[in-house]
Amino acid sequence: MFTASWIGQFLATGIRLATPLVFAALAAAVTVKAGMFNMGVEGMMLCAALAAPIVAAQTGSVWIGLLAGVLTRLLTALVISFSSLTGKTDLYLTCIAFNLMATGGTVFLMILLTGSQSDTLNALKIYMLPTLNIPLIEKIPILGPILSGHDILTYVAVLSVILVSFFFKRTRLGLRLRSVGENPQAAEAVGISSIKMRYIAFILSGLLSGLGGAFMSIGNVGYFMKNMVGGRGYIGLSAMNMANADAAGASLASLFFGLCEDISLTLKSNKTLNFPTQFLDMVPYAATILSIMVINFIRIAHQRKIEKGEVAAK
Amino acid sequence: MNKTQKIETGMELVRILICLLIAYAAALVILFLIADDPWFVIKTFITGPFSSPRRIGSVINQSIPFILCGLSMCFVYAVNKFNLAAEGIFMMSGCMVALVGLSLADYNLPSIVMMIIVYAVAIVTGIVLDYIPAILDRKFNANVVVVSLMLNSIVGFFAYWVLQNKLADPKKSSVESRTIPASIQMPDLFGKLKVPAGLIIALVCTVIVSIVFYRTSFGWKMRIVGSNPRFAKATGLNVLSISFAAQLAGGALAGIAGATEFMDNYKTFKWTTTTGHGFDGLLVAVLAKKNPRLVPIGALFLAYIRIGAEYLNSKSNGAVPKEFITVIQGIIILLIAAESFLSGTKNKIIFKEAQKRLDAEKAKNTAAA
Repeated sequence: MFTASWIGQFLATGIRLATPLVFAALAAAVTVKAGMFNMGVEGMMLCAALAAPIVAAQTGSVWIGLLAGVLTRLLTALVISFSSLTGKTDLYLTCIAFNLMATGGTVFLMILLTGSQSDTLNALKIYMLPTLNIPLIEKIPILGPILSGHDILTYVAVLSVILVSFFFKRTRLGLRLRSVGENPQAAEAVGISSIKMRYIAFILSGLLSGLGGAFMSIGNVGYFMKNMVGGRGYIGLSAMNMANADAAGASLASLFFGLCEDISLTLKSNKTLNFPTQFLDMVPYAATILSIMVINFIRIAHQRKIEKGEVAAK
Repeated sequence: MNKTQKIETGMELVRILICLLIAYAAALVILFLIADDPWFVIKTFITGPFSSPRRIGSVINQSIPFILCGLSMCFVYAVNKFNLAAEGIFMMSGCMVALVGLSLADYNLPSIVMMIIVYAVAIVTGIVLDYIPAILDRKFNANVVVVSLMLNSIVGFFAYWVLQNKLADPKKSSVESRTIPASIQMPDLFGKLKVPAGLIIALVCTVIVSIVFYRTSFGWKMRIVGSNPRFAKATGLNVLSISFAAQLAGGALAGIAGATEFMDNYKTFKWTTTTGHGFDGLLVAVLAKKNPRLVPIGALFLAYIRIGAEYLNSKSNGAVPKEFITVIQGIIILLIAAESFLSGTKNKIIFKEAQKRLDAEKAKNTAAA
């Protein structure tokens, strides 16, 4: 079982499963940097996941489908940001309401547009984004299959991690966003509109989680399934939380959760061990709760040490 | 109550009514757009739930778990800790009731003893499950929403595992338990309406929770913690303990809700996924503005539009998916929770009233002079 090719495939699956989590984590990180805990990532991914295959099937082009997914997500980001920033609704409540709306609304639209109750597998022609083989790397024996041949959005995810880090560390807009998140009054005092910045954060986060949602449908399987995001938005959110909204750290945490899901899938397909499937289904969620616990425990312990003066604060 | 408070309460009621009207109008517009025969569809949606005594009964029946979950969510919403574990608790407590009920079936205990036992089990289930996100929030500062949502998924899978491996009756083709003993099946009330006796439980709980909210020091503290944590801390209240206790109370009520719904409407346990009642409870709590006395009204409204949607769905042979109601529910939450919605009008009225009072005083002063 534990051959080199098996390990290679295992890691490759882990990377594939981590892709939507990375997008979700980045989307959450962008809004958290601007001082908002955006739980709507979950529902927005769902909307994008529905829009992408439907538009792709209508137009016959998977790229227009991708674009539609991202645009839908931008629109939904505006709904949330409008009601939360302009309407002054409690952000948690807005996001919970929005996620509920997305869960039912996507099913509603799916039934209306395709007539099928649970997924669009039979109703629509399957369109999928192309995979990308990296010329030189794919030749390397073990590393090749791990790194090459993924869906194109997986590479976009890697690129986004770099871009988001760059955006926050090196650009003027990124600095402004962070300043609004850390001290809105100070930012207002030097003439930065916090509302405007937060809208921008929401739009950026919309772009990122739109890609994540599109990956779920047209990147991964090619069709939309009822409630297919299945808590991945929240898992990505926790990954972001663990890494303190740092883009690179958040994507590493996402990779960890992707591998957890991978382990549960692998054990499920293994007939000789015969684990109860329900317990394996729990693995990604349980891993999330446990990691939140461990990370926050370490953080609090560190904080106490700083308070006692044993370690210098950073 | 002074004048300003009176205006605020009045405006709040008007605001909620306007929100409901807008949401209802949105529902009608959606129906109008998607249906081939819009007038028939809209008529079915509005009057359908009243078309027979049986259906009126089912509106009341469906509102029972909504009332209990709404009360549960009132507690967590009152302290502003969105502990959403109620969703998982609802399913788990039904599962535990079936488990305990079936394993005690051979002892032939009287109904009242059985009821006390299963409700105790349900309450403990609720408290234990709500304890997890609450304690993680308190000790580790973990986000209570994320943890409770993850917990819901875990609990859902666990309850399904219990169903499949401990409860399932091998003689049945579908995955469901044996029939629960008659001693824990709720009797029906009101003859033709067929409302299960769980209604009494729900109303008793409403009264108790209202007393806790408005007649005890705990309720008072809880509302202070929710509306102004800094003030609560400054006055020396233990904010963490109070919100912790409120979450556990919410869990206990969610447990009661799951048990009641299960014993009301099911003879065998067959829930394979979580039922969504926890989130419905949040909607009801928002509708009732976290005031437990208004919870039954919010629950009845929710049950009314749900039954309307279901009835419409069956009448139109599935042409109108009943999921459209979730969109309407979302709009309701967003509108009601939006602080600035109509706040300008409210401020204007308060201002005008104050101006009038000032003018009156000035007139009196000049008259006296």
